[in-house]
Amino acid sequence: MVTLTINGKLVEADEGEMLLAVIRRQQIDVPALCHHDAVEPYGACRLCTVEITKSDWNGWKNYVTSCLYPAEDGLIVSTHTPEVIELRRTVLDLMLARSPRARLIRDMAAEYGIMRTSYQEVVDGDDCILCGLCTRVCDEMGFHAISSVNRGHGKEIAPPLWQPPPDCVGCLSCAQVCPTGFITYTDKGTTRTIWDRKFELLTCEQTGLPTVTREFAEFLSAHREIPKEYFQLSDRAHRKELAGTMGKISQWGREE
Amino acid sequence: MHIRNVQQLRKRQKEALAARDRFPRRIIVCCGPGCLASGSQKIVDAFHKVLKNRRIKDFSVKALRDTGCHGLCEKGPLVVIEPQGWFYTRVKPKDVEEILERSIRNGEIIDKLLYTDPATNRTEETYPEIGFYSHQRRIALRNLGKIHPAEIDDYIATGGYQALARVLEKMTPDGVIKEVTDSGLRGRGGGGFATGRKWRSCRDVVSDVRYVICNGDEGDPGAFMDRAIMEGDPHIVLEGMLIAAYAVGATEGYVYVREEYPLAVVRLQQAVEQCEETGLMGDNILGSDFSFRVRVARGAGAFVCGESSALMKSVAGAVGEPRAKYIRSVTKGLYDKPTVLNNVETFANVPTIIEKGADWFRKVGTSGSAGTKAFSLVGKVKNTGLIEVPMGITLREIIYDIGGGTIDDRPFKAVQTGGPSGGCLPESKLDLPVDFDTLTEAGSMMGSGGMIVMDDKTCMVDVARYFLSFLVSESCGKCVPCREGLYQLHALVAAVTEGRAVEEDLDRMERLSEVIVRGSLCGLGKSGPNPFLSTIRYFRDDYLAHIRDKRCPAGVCRELIRYEINEKCTGCMACISACAYNAITGKKQEVHVLDQDKCTKCGACLAVCRYEAIDVY
Amino acid sequence: MSHDFSKLPRLIDRHPRKPDSLIMVLQDIQQEYHYLPCEALEAAAEALKVPLSRVFSVATFYNAFSLHRRGDNIVRLCKGTACHIRGANLIQQQLETQLGIQVGQTTPDYKFTLEVVACVGACAMAPVVIVNGKYHGTMNVNTVKKVLKVK
Repeated sequence: MVTLTINGKLVEADEGEMLLAVIRRQQIDVPALCHHDAVEPYGACRLCTVEITKSDWNGWKNYVTSCLYPAEDGLIVSTHTPEVIELRRTVLDLMLARSPRARLIRDMAAEYGIMRTSYQEVVDGDDCILCGLCTRVCDEMGFHAISSVNRGHGKEIAPPLWQPPPDCVGCLSCAQVCPTGFITYTDKGTTRTIWDRKFELLTCEQTGLPTVTREFAEFLSAHREIPKEYFQLSDRAHRKELAGTMGKISQWGREE
Repeated sequence: MHIRNVQQLRKRQKEALAARDRFPRRIIVCCGPGCLASGSQKIVDAFHKVLKNRRIKDFSVKALRDTGCHGLCEKGPLVVIEPQGWFYTRVKPKDVEEILERSIRNGEIIDKLLYTDPATNRTEETYPEIGFYSHQRRIALRNLGKIHPAEIDDYIATGGYQALARVLEKMTPDGVIKEVTDSGLRGRGGGGFATGRKWRSCRDVVSDVRYVICNGDEGDPGAFMDRAIMEGDPHIVLEGMLIAAYAVGATEGYVYVREEYPLAVVRLQQAVEQCEETGLMGDNILGSDFSFRVRVARGAGAFVCGESSALMKSVAGAVGEPRAKYIRSVTKGLYDKPTVLNNVETFANVPTIIEKGADWFRKVGTSGSAGTKAFSLVGKVKNTGLIEVPMGITLREIIYDIGGGTIDDRPFKAVQTGGPSGGCLPESKLDLPVDFDTLTEAGSMMGSGGMIVMDDKTCMVDVARYFLSFLVSESCGKCVPCREGLYQLHALVAAVTEGRAVEEDLDRMERLSEVIVRGSLCGLGKSGPNPFLSTIRYFRDDYLAHIRDKRCPAGVCRELIRYEINEKCTGCMACISACAYNAITGKKQEVHVLDQDKCTKCGACLAVCRYEAIDVY
Repeated sequence: MSHDFSKLPRLIDRHPRKPDSLIMVLQDIQQEYHYLPCEALEAAAEALKVPLSRVFSVATFYNAFSLHRRGDNIVRLCKGTACHIRGANLIQQQLETQLGIQVGQTTPDYKFTLEVVACVGACAMAPVVIVNGKYHGTMNVNTVKKVLKVK
């Protein structure tokens, strides 16, 4: 355990625990758009930046992203100094220049007093904020279907050769984790389309509702030991069945 | 032939020296980066061609050596005649016959090929007399221009690998670290971090595997010191790495060379092979139980890969995206193992420090910055080239005494150091002693060693725009402050050069710069605003002229200037041929006419006019 | 330079079949064909056991790689600081006019590709143009025509 100060208050943390988690445990709201507990921290959006210092630093301060900075004994953390707020405001202003129509960015920027970007709007700007959550989650799932392409200002998220990705299974993890909703998909009947690739959706034998794509089911049965037959029923139908089974078990208990 | 122990190394040195001394008369042709670009390969070929059919007494084609960079690139191709040390400049293939007949056969000096000092107008015959060299102190560059880079025996003859021998025979790893720490050596790649301390931190991490990497990604535009060392003396780099590996406990290493230096890749690979053949690399080096192997890794065209964490990603075959350095590479570097990463020039200093000792090294330079620094002195200076000077020398001495002053003696405006992370210093700072700390305090930085001289025809706002444009194209794109921030900062500075900015914009640019400096993930972003910050600090008037008067005082920014043909025009039609836009019309011997609507201010006419008949307003 | 993709396995085999070799393999392929054909990306992905998305990521991140077919003669103009100060912009304009293409493009007959490089390390001889690996220093308006005379 280590002891550090956050906004003047002494708190405890596990040694090596990232500051962001410690800060959030204190119910302090620090934004972090490229952060997700399912994947390793990335440090791209810089919104979770905090000011740190130590008593033997002679007044010198550093600005670090709390998602990647490990807690240390004696660290003095300030999450909302004027410089930090100015930094967050500028970052959101810059993001707004690139993604002026993204709802999430507009709302967050408005909280910092920015209704329109004070910079030149980027030509061909879109709602992708390049947080990298989609590619990191896809890699974590083991599919590696999409990746970041090009570098610098021209960087974008795309499937290989800008073609429908051969390694995608249509699991929708990327779409679900995308903060701005830039990644979209359509489910029509038993066809799912995402990244311009079409997938066949399996359907529940009881309700007829779609469950998962055939490719995803095949992957799960081959690599995660979930039998293919599992997907013949939707989760809802599974729950109904389970409830039925639990009911029966409790009845036996009463009978005895 | 294997060198199994220190005694055999000494014997090999004696043999190499004897072989070299068999040919006291030698012709040395410089094949450094500058001379190669001036055509020195043609000189070498010409010599070979003549010597095929001619015999000269006591001279063999073996005594014709091509070597690495001599440094005085402006006057290349350079040829040095040994043993007299006659220094021939601007040699052409047609001079080859004369050199062989007069200088080699007859022992006569050829006056017309000698160097004339631009400051004194005197001709100088040999190296030590030449002002360009007499102010220099060559430690890292000690062998450049004297040895053939692909001959390990040349290196051994000059005492190469004796430092390694001393380390393995007489010193412990801790002893080596102490020596390097006491010497005060600081990283020569730009960071200026204490080398000994870095090695100590790496050694202190408990691990079975450690790596030593040499950063040969010299990405700073305007810098070619590392290129000259890698191409001209690859063994000194390898010897430095071997000593570092012994000190920190590494068994594997990499030299990362940028893709734009194909010859450096070849030379290093040759040097590694020669080391392996002679047993100076591999297992049980020189009979000790120290083993070390090096692989040459190539970059693929990314300035950001000069940053250590991005470089390590690139070595592992991935995109060069840096990571936050809250956990340092000496703790977790390549493949998450403790890694020492040092610059080419840093390693090149190590053998001398071991041979001559920390105290000797400390006596050179200043108290905060021991030793020397190699610089590429380029731009609007008379003697462009590669130099190495003791820390503490002033900028004025470098630019005027060594460099010979500005071209055409035009008024000096600024000197840019530190590459895109550095800054521009004005005339008032010329008496600043050059060392890590003074340059940083003044608003620039040492950087890797690029030193670009600028005159009154250089627009400082254009320079800021140029560097920002470079950084925008080299940014990896991971973090918002760098990717979006530098993009917008570039747009704002470009607006100044195009006459579209207002004074309030300067304040916005300064505030944006502060955020980029604080918020960026890596050094590229953090130091990205420096070109703007240093030029606005010292050349605010330039910015204001562009904003208030819509004028570019240096006559560079195309939107704000106008070319006009004056009465000096003789009607020679040179500009008409040079103009790609048909903006100039006129007949022979008649004053030409320039159409302002078609003129793009590209400067082609200005470049070809011999009569100063084109004015820039 | 050829379009014979049967050479690919041999090029890939020059290096250990591990993910680390990716950049070196792509460089060898680039050297052979003057660009990276998609067949090469797929072959590299399979041989080195690297996901295709990662191969694509690397191929588009680094300047050295081109996904588009390029000309037989590669003309590279240095835009380093020393070259910029000594008139690289003017040389660029001359090259673009004489070749009839912009930087980054290839002539329709695939004879020339024009590129810029950040710095080639021959700063003392600025401005510098490299044609097919051969360096030409102290370029000026008059020498541009000469360096473009290639076979």
